[in-house]
Amino acid sequence: MAADLKFAKTHEWVRSEASGVHTVGISSYAVEALTDLVFMQLPAVGKRVKAGESFGEIESVKAVSDLYAPISGEIIEVNSALPGKLDTLGKDPYGEGWVVRIKADNPADLDSLLDREAYESLVGSQPH
Amino acid sequence: MLTIWWDPAADGPTNMAADECLAAEAERRDSLLMRFYDWSTTTISLGGFQKLEDARHVDEIGGIPLVRRPSGGGAIVHGSDLTYAAAVPKSHPWGASPQILYDALHGAMVETLAEHGVRAWLWPVDGAALSRADAAVGHLVAAEADAAGFFCFDRRAAGDLVMAGPAEGGFTKIMGSAQRRLAGVVLQHGSLLLQSNAGLTGAARHLGVADLIVEQPVSEPLPERAGLSRAWVRRLARSLGGSFQEEAAFSSAHQQEIATVAARFREDRWMARR
Repeated sequence: MAADLKFAKTHEWVRSEASGVHTVGISSYAVEALTDLVFMQLPAVGKRVKAGESFGEIESVKAVSDLYAPISGEIIEVNSALPGKLDTLGKDPYGEGWVVRIKADNPADLDSLLDREAYESLVGSQPH
Repeated sequence: MLTIWWDPAADGPTNMAADECLAAEAERRDSLLMRFYDWSTTTISLGGFQKLEDARHVDEIGGIPLVRRPSGGGAIVHGSDLTYAAAVPKSHPWGASPQILYDALHGAMVETLAEHGVRAWLWPVDGAALSRADAAVGHLVAAEADAAGFFCFDRRAAGDLVMAGPAEGGFTKIMGSAQRRLAGVVLQHGSLLLQSNAGLTGAARHLGVADLIVEQPVSEPLPERAGLSRAWVRRLARSLGGSFQEEAAFSSAHQQEIATVAARFREDRWMARR
């Protein structure tokens, strides 16, 4: 798990690029817990999202989970190839498995996210 | 504390709305809530992302009302089943991962059925458990999940409840559940098929507990739906280390909220989302 990532308690990760764009994905912990992914619904480019609100959904064999925006802003890019190859989420969750890119309204939103150590502590305390 | 809502029969959208209300209430109370309910008419609930078009292609279910669940999984024909919804805060140990909750609820149902001499297992059936119980029953099935079927009871996922039966591998699925995992709470829908629905034929007809125990001597008659639900709840409460309390549900405080949410479940936009 890369050190430059921040995490939401709802298991989305954020990588901040120098350009001010923030790449968002789903943590390996969450992907593993969901198991057997079968469908994913992503938002349209241009959609505005608010931190903590659902921006997409992912279905595994038995569960539908919402994807929550870790920061507010505009979705400027979507990994449109992802729904067609969901195994990428398991193989490379912090790379090719990225989900959306968001142009943040307020970069201070990142301050409320967890760093890697705090996130690992959070998931380490949860039963598997 | 486990809290139970016993609800009267309602149509599909009202039941889905009541389940959403249940989930919101569980999150507000930070407590585990379950709801048992019936359907005012035979109804098919589709999984959250099943294609509506796929339902149109199953001739045997033509004319039966449809509703789309917020949870995942396959289609269920409700009418001769025990339907429940459980809402569990993610802070609760049972809310931590999908499998923990399936196993907790389904495992308690295995024990409840066993009280009446009905042998059921969590799928995939463990070889050791099988040999202890009845080595002659069926043969082991592959542990790979199968989410391809239109109907829930044609699919297999870890933790599904099965009995010895004529389905592939020697086991027939009798109980399945599916979840909607929200930010702070998990809503799990589930169905125990008590008996096959007499009004259905072909692909839409699945065998239930009563059909499968014909060949299996049981120690005492299986209780009717309410009795079985109550026995299951007692088991669940015991495994939580406590008791349970009962409340009247959508007939009272939540009626307006449920009516508002039910309107959303009736919208074409929701039904045709996929």
